[in-house]
Amino acid sequence: MDALLTKTKTAVGAEAQPKQKITGSEVLLRSLVEEGADIIFGYPGGAIMPVYDALYHYADRLTHILVRHEQGAIHAAQGFARVSGKAGVVFATSGPGATNLVTGLADALIDSTPLVCITGQVFAHLLGTDAFQETDVVNTTIPVTKWNIQVTEAKDIAPAVARAFYIANTGRPGPVLVDITKNAQNEMIEEAEYNKCESIRTYKPKPVLQPAQVDAAAELINNAKRPYILAGQGVLLSEASKELIAFSEKTGIPVASTLLGLGAFPTDHPNYVGFLGMHGNYGPNLNTNECDVLIAVGMRFDDRVTGNVSKYAKQAKVVHLEIDKAEINKIIKADVAIHADAKEGLAALTAKCKANQHADWFASFKKLNDEEYEKVTRKEFFPASEKLTMAEVIHHLSNFTKGEAVVVTDVGQHQMTTSRYYQYKDPRTNVTSGGAGTMGFALPAAMGAKMGAPGKQVVAVIGDGGYQMTVQELGTIMQYKIPVKIIVLNNNFLGMVRQWQQLFHEKRYSFTEMQNPDFVMLAQAYSIPARKVEAREDLQGALKEMLDAETPFFLEVVVGKEDNVFPMVPAGAGVADVLLEAPKI
Amino acid sequence: MTIHTRTLLETNTITMKQEFTLEIHSDNNFSVLNRIVNILNRRRIRIKKLVAHEVEGDFRMGVAVLLLFTTADMMEKVKHQLEKLIEVEYAIYYPGSDLYCELSAKHNEQVV
Repeated sequence: MDALLTKTKTAVGAEAQPKQKITGSEVLLRSLVEEGADIIFGYPGGAIMPVYDALYHYADRLTHILVRHEQGAIHAAQGFARVSGKAGVVFATSGPGATNLVTGLADALIDSTPLVCITGQVFAHLLGTDAFQETDVVNTTIPVTKWNIQVTEAKDIAPAVARAFYIANTGRPGPVLVDITKNAQNEMIEEAEYNKCESIRTYKPKPVLQPAQVDAAAELINNAKRPYILAGQGVLLSEASKELIAFSEKTGIPVASTLLGLGAFPTDHPNYVGFLGMHGNYGPNLNTNECDVLIAVGMRFDDRVTGNVSKYAKQAKVVHLEIDKAEINKIIKADVAIHADAKEGLAALTAKCKANQHADWFASFKKLNDEEYEKVTRKEFFPASEKLTMAEVIHHLSNFTKGEAVVVTDVGQHQMTTSRYYQYKDPRTNVTSGGAGTMGFALPAAMGAKMGAPGKQVVAVIGDGGYQMTVQELGTIMQYKIPVKIIVLNNNFLGMVRQWQQLFHEKRYSFTEMQNPDFVMLAQAYSIPARKVEAREDLQGALKEMLDAETPFFLEVVVGKEDNVFPMVPAGAGVADVLLEAPKI
Repeated sequence: MTIHTRTLLETNTITMKQEFTLEIHSDNNFSVLNRIVNILNRRRIRIKKLVAHEVEGDFRMGVAVLLLFTTADMMEKVKHQLEKLIEVEYAIYYPGSDLYCELSAKHNEQVV
């Protein structure tokens, strides 16, 4: 893979003659090069063949990764974008090629991931005629894109791509889609200088910080006895981790993280109190309803964080620092809203807030988290049962990697366990499907993450259910020798659904038990070294072998079938109703 | 600076459904109207009337005027969601239908 990543870029137009005529397809590729897009995840087909034909001649400037399914392409691009901060680029053909992107688009939209997806489309004169592989991609993807456009003439390709990158990367990032008809791809036009988009009349991505909002927030914070910071992904997207640390350290305010905010604040920092939400830590959930000023930074009060909103932080004044105006007052009313980029807003707040300490308030978090450790964590790290637990796997993984690996999770019990126990230290090391909860996300996202951060150890942690949703991407990992490490925590169940069935549906395990293939043989069929662990004494050695491997490596860990993830805020309950163990029936 | 009082949310004027006139100014691209209606549909907001047209003298810009039946709280939320649309310049709403008649008549005159 290194060879793929170290290809020297040739300056665009260096060998081209002025006023030379080129195809729309080549205009597209030149535009991508100008935007600094060096890796494309894609899958060819009839309506995008002219682009792929042109791509044949751009192998020295653009690296294309041939995935095994378009969903794999878009999740890989998401993984790439999340670790690199650059927009991920995807190619797909018309019809089913494009519709296979829909899940990834929805995932990227809700999780604010910048993507530029290029889809081929039938000839313009065939639009609306039900031509072969014709789908109305623009109207299909309106609800799942930040913006999309159909281009039917070659002259419009470069401006559309420029606009696409600008929209994807600015403000609250998100996925965009450019649908290009085949005639536009084939059309010859005079080459022209590429102009990056720098503004759009109707789009104002960077709000102007209002000092009065900062003053009002600072007044609340300066007078607070039990202030509390909730850090979301907005901190990561605006690269505001340093500003968040400075704000917390000066004001002496505890910081908790949302699922996507993990990594924004070091988990080993003394001011870090834990992970929020349905399976978050005990103290951070309970103390949400004890704080007097709640400072939400770059987060959107997802229902997995708030639980029942009618029971959420009613006692607190809420300060909401958020770049997306539509998120302010959407779920939780803000007493003071700061409509701004997190980096700018935090710096301004730090300047206005006085130095402070809240020792008793911190002590209340410690007391609750100690209680959680005794009732939950200790039993999971050092179980009485012979069966391995997900928690002990993640605990060892975190220790062996010193919390510095990029960890990519799928959706379910393993995701919540990883979020609870992996000790994230750095920004852009947590890659997961948050808002959409897309099973099948992790395997392709991990290979994209490895392409985006080739110097980092990248470990995918996946359940046996989600793994099989996109397992075909083992072929991509094999072909490009992407040295990603894959852990499947196998309980032969759709574990999170099974947990809910146990707790809330009187143990009616309706279609959640899975008969799985031999995962080791499956990986070996793709020439990926593989190992299976069932006994505790083998776990640490297997993890070390996996981490030391210079190749891709697959590790299956068989865990207890009926283990549950706790703490848990049951559906419909308030955050203060968080449970440390299953209710006695 | 906006300081909200959360108790205001719980008053009848916020939660009671009523007619609102919504005026949206945007670029006049393909699919803009679809994007607008999508946001209203997703919130299950009843559209009682709708008129949309190009701006006279500049076909690249458009206006939509809608008569909606929803709550004040929802109107405020969808206004911001509509303004998130890349093509939308601004959205403004007024309680009642009087302005719908006035605005739609005004805009109809423009296109005659």
